[in-house]
Amino acid sequence: MTMTNTSTTAPTLPPADLKPAQRTWRAFRRNPLGMGSAAVILLMVLVALIAPLLAEFPSGYGIEILMPPSAAHPFGTDDLGRDVLAQVIWGTRISMIIGFASSFLAILIGVALGILAAYAKRLDAPISMLVDVSLALPVLPLMILVAALVGPSVTTLVVVIALFSWPEVTRIVRSQALSVTRLPYVDAARTIGGSHFWIMTRHLLPAVAPIIVVSVVLTASRAVMSEAGLSFLGLGDPESWSWGKILFNAQRSGALTVAWWCTLFPSLAILLLVVSSTLVSIAYNDARNPKTREN
Amino acid sequence: MHLTGYFLQRLIRGLVTFWFAVTVTFFLVRLLPGDPVLAVAAPGMTEEIRQTQLQQFGLDRPLLVQYFAYLRELVQGNLGVSFLRSQPVSQVLMERLPWTLLLTGSALLLTVILGVPLGVLAATRARGWVDQVVQITGVVGQSLFVPSLGILLLYTLGLMLGWFPIGGAVKSGLTGFSYYLSVLHHLILPCFTLVLAQLASYVLTLRATLIEALGEEYCDLARAKGTRENKVIWKHALRNALLPTTTLIGLQIGFLVGGAVLTETIYAYPGVGRAIYEAVGQLDFPVLQGAFVLLAATVVIANLVTDIAYGFLDPRVRA
Repeated sequence: MTMTNTSTTAPTLPPADLKPAQRTWRAFRRNPLGMGSAAVILLMVLVALIAPLLAEFPSGYGIEILMPPSAAHPFGTDDLGRDVLAQVIWGTRISMIIGFASSFLAILIGVALGILAAYAKRLDAPISMLVDVSLALPVLPLMILVAALVGPSVTTLVVVIALFSWPEVTRIVRSQALSVTRLPYVDAARTIGGSHFWIMTRHLLPAVAPIIVVSVVLTASRAVMSEAGLSFLGLGDPESWSWGKILFNAQRSGALTVAWWCTLFPSLAILLLVVSSTLVSIAYNDARNPKTREN
Repeated sequence: MHLTGYFLQRLIRGLVTFWFAVTVTFFLVRLLPGDPVLAVAAPGMTEEIRQTQLQQFGLDRPLLVQYFAYLRELVQGNLGVSFLRSQPVSQVLMERLPWTLLLTGSALLLTVILGVPLGVLAATRARGWVDQVVQITGVVGQSLFVPSLGILLLYTLGLMLGWFPIGGAVKSGLTGFSYYLSVLHHLILPCFTLVLAQLASYVLTLRATLIEALGEEYCDLARAKGTRENKVIWKHALRNALLPTTTLIGLQIGFLVGGAVLTETIYAYPGVGRAIYEAVGQLDFPVLQGAFVLLAATVVIANLVTDIAYGFLDPRVRA
């Protein structure tokens, strides 16, 4: 489908007055892997949104325990007779909420500190030091400690994951913003009396915006993995389902040694989301880079 | 001369990182919403016990006084008492640390042993089919969720084929050579789980830096002198391409430790990670806190070792 599109549009060069964003979108659209991955992510968002329409919230006990996949239960049932498909669908919701919310928070902190470090010379050393030190530490055990202390809930998970994910964003944003602060237009803005805040939000922020787009996707997919990790260790929200929690249940009940369907489907969901996120960000980077995009 | 200065600088940096880790945990535990007594005693205690605990552990004293007392105890190797086992935390964890070190150490070594040839293979056949396969597998490999991978290996190789034991670190009652053989046998699945989970980042990094290095002028010069391509790759380009990979090893050690926590949980491997999993279930906060401090120390030391290796690998540091 995309191939035929390419062959019909390729001979005509894009008009020169196209905005950079439009050029990027044009190039992105031609990448089947990128488009496919974007479609997968959108589909998962849709599943998360309409979860109540797709399946009943899995609760209580069923009679059919540990049944392999069948017409009635396409993903089989778990040790308490609950439908695994319903768990995966409702898990999509929580995994998505936590992924997006914590990546939003982490990006907010990360971008603010990254730009601040690049712009304010005096703050650069302490912020960079903080980032280096936090990146060197084993994050998962620290998240476990905090999540266990505060008590597991969706809010706890969002805050804890965000709290330990921003340094990565700061590091990338800082290095990108640093190259921009040396450009003449920033000096010019300062010369005509632009306030620091104005320069940072109007000149530095737009310059790092493409990096932020990639960061949102990658941070969100890493957040989904962190959530799955914490839930797998028993720190998930007790009230709701998530992909990690399905794995935790299978591990705790011993179902993972007898029922492959209890662990395979949530695992595939995690893998599909993370692979799609990676491919989307690669495709976006390629589409944005004039060297790799063909027009 | 410069090398000592470099090592000293790295040592100070490591100490600062460790101090930061300890300080952050101390204040997190005490300032977060939640009862600080929980950090030293079992949940569900009576008010009377709570008060005695507050006094006994000095939790009613000013925060800074507590902080310095905590540091003093830490320097002496005292990490508190696990209320669950009524044993010092340091004792509980030190019994388990060797297993975690064995697991992570062997995983790291194997990753490098497998990663270097794979990276070279992909880089020297850039855009060929080997490279394509490596790249696609790399993207999927970087996206693997450690427990999923662990469960997959456990289910297929451990349960269905029965090649490997599915839990524990060693069969009890063995001595001598058969003991070590059993340790190795139990190590293979958890170790491979960790290797597969992190191999992709190493291969992709090495591939990218090696492709860049092979296009550099010094490689062209070596080729112009008539050096065989194999020697150009392994002697000239690889030495330089290994530098960013060494940096990556340092950066990834934190991730490796996190992976070990998850892997040990799946395989019931008796390391620090499994202790964390058990402590989460019982809300044994002293163990959780001590485990983080201990793992942070391990990571800092491992990073220091990578830095020293880097110092020897990179002549610019010595100059």
